Amino acid sequence: MKGLLIHGVCHAFGDNKVLDKVAVVVPAGELVCLLGPSGCGKSTLLRIAAGLEVLQEGSVVIDEVTVASNTVHVEPQDRRIGFMFQDYALFPHLTVLDNVTFGMKYLPPEKAKARAMDMLAQVGMTDQISKPPHMLSGGQQQRVALARALAPEPKLLLLDEPFSGLDTNMRARIREETLGVLKECGVATLMVTHDPEEAMFMADRIKILGRDGKILQAARPHEIYYHPKHEFVAKLFGLMNRFDGVVDNARVETPLGSVAAPDMAEGLKVQVLIRPEGIVLASSENANGTPLELLSTHLLGHDNVVRLRLASGQKGEIYVRVHHAFEPELAMGIKAKIDPDYAFVFPVEAGQ
Amino acid sequence: MVELTSSFKLEFEALDQDHRKMIDQVNAIITEIDTGNTEVCKTQVADFVIFSKQHFAREEQLLVSINYPDVDKHRKHHRDLYDKLDHMLEFARMAPENDIACESLKKELVYFIMDDVITADLEFKDFLTNA
Repeated sequence: MKGLLIHGVCHAFGDNKVLDKVAVVVPAGELVCLLGPSGCGKSTLLRIAAGLEVLQEGSVVIDEVTVASNTVHVEPQDRRIGFMFQDYALFPHLTVLDNVTFGMKYLPPEKAKARAMDMLAQVGMTDQISKPPHMLSGGQQQRVALARALAPEPKLLLLDEPFSGLDTNMRARIREETLGVLKECGVATLMVTHDPEEAMFMADRIKILGRDGKILQAARPHEIYYHPKHEFVAKLFGLMNRFDGVVDNARVETPLGSVAAPDMAEGLKVQVLIRPEGIVLASSENANGTPLELLSTHLLGHDNVVRLRLASGQKGEIYVRVHHAFEPELAMGIKAKIDPDYAFVFPVEAGQ
Repeated sequence: MVELTSSFKLEFEALDQDHRKMIDQVNAIITEIDTGNTEVCKTQVADFVIFSKQHFAREEQLLVSINYPDVDKHRKHHRDLYDKLDHMLEFARMAPENDIACESLKKELVYFIMDDVITADLEFKDFLTNA
């Protein structure tokens, strides 16, 4: 298969095991994103794929050639890999054009220049070729770094938090452009990020790496968000409301209503996690739902985060995300119910 | 198109044969989608789902028979994949009217067979070899 196959990779730094039997497949033309919190081992896996870290256990295969195993270690420069770091790592003393031709010394200079110009055209930077990197904006530097990574026609592109140095507006634009260029090139791309939104936007498939170095779930973005298989995966996307309960007749009662708990043992202690957008508020007199008291609202522009508590006086705060204009001064008698698409039931683990 | 290249082989004929058949099924579905025969792929996807579940059962039986220590973990992995198979059936149902469903179905099939099924099975390749 064209692309990347990593399997059975275990890696430790001293006694600290950071990767535990990790497997990743990236077919050519696809973008797979490794998503996980800082320190979960995702950059280590990228470095192992690149050959910058010596593999301890498992194997790495690129385009059907084993580049790392217990008997093989192909040097990074011989793996035909493009690597883009979060700080772009452009050479400050070289012009844009020289930065992009740098990795193509194996080609005659004219051919290398032609190829570099092609790539710079793809990323819209042909009018900046004589400038040094410090004269470019963050977004422009990112484009040059992408052109440099793709110019030697790598079999695999590795992206390590490639947009983290950009401001919010620039990031949205650049990642869209980057995705377009990658799809056009047809290169297999493995990207690591700790930003769930970035992963959702970019990836054909997301692999969630947990703190214990294990892959917890691998799926398309929709499935990761709406059908998380693990509490850790559900919580990656931000604040969750939690209610504890017990499975009774395949359902769990919460103060905001009951939630289905199929395939769970009767009497099992569980936690119900509900995304803030999974609690539906209504403020008309005839509305159904559990009465709540408003504590505060925080307008974020595209939506509001509303902080409430149960009118019954039961302890704990409830966070709700409301996607329309919500004026707390005009909200009377707020009631809430659960949208089941955003509610997930997981067993309560020991110590929780 | 996908193929059972050497790096994906378990070198255990019964399972490699199953994987090969599943890959053939996936390729046949992709071909029908690419040639616009999206109605046909509904039946093909249903057949693929049936065969996948049969394969899981056969594999679990084999792992029990050779005392593979992580058989419960692998069984759970198979159960988790049932949701993906259900989604594929949904995509196939929508495919005649929806190009995005066609693309999603193709992607899901390739990742399912190469990543979720075969690469996950590579975890017990060494155990099979030494069994």
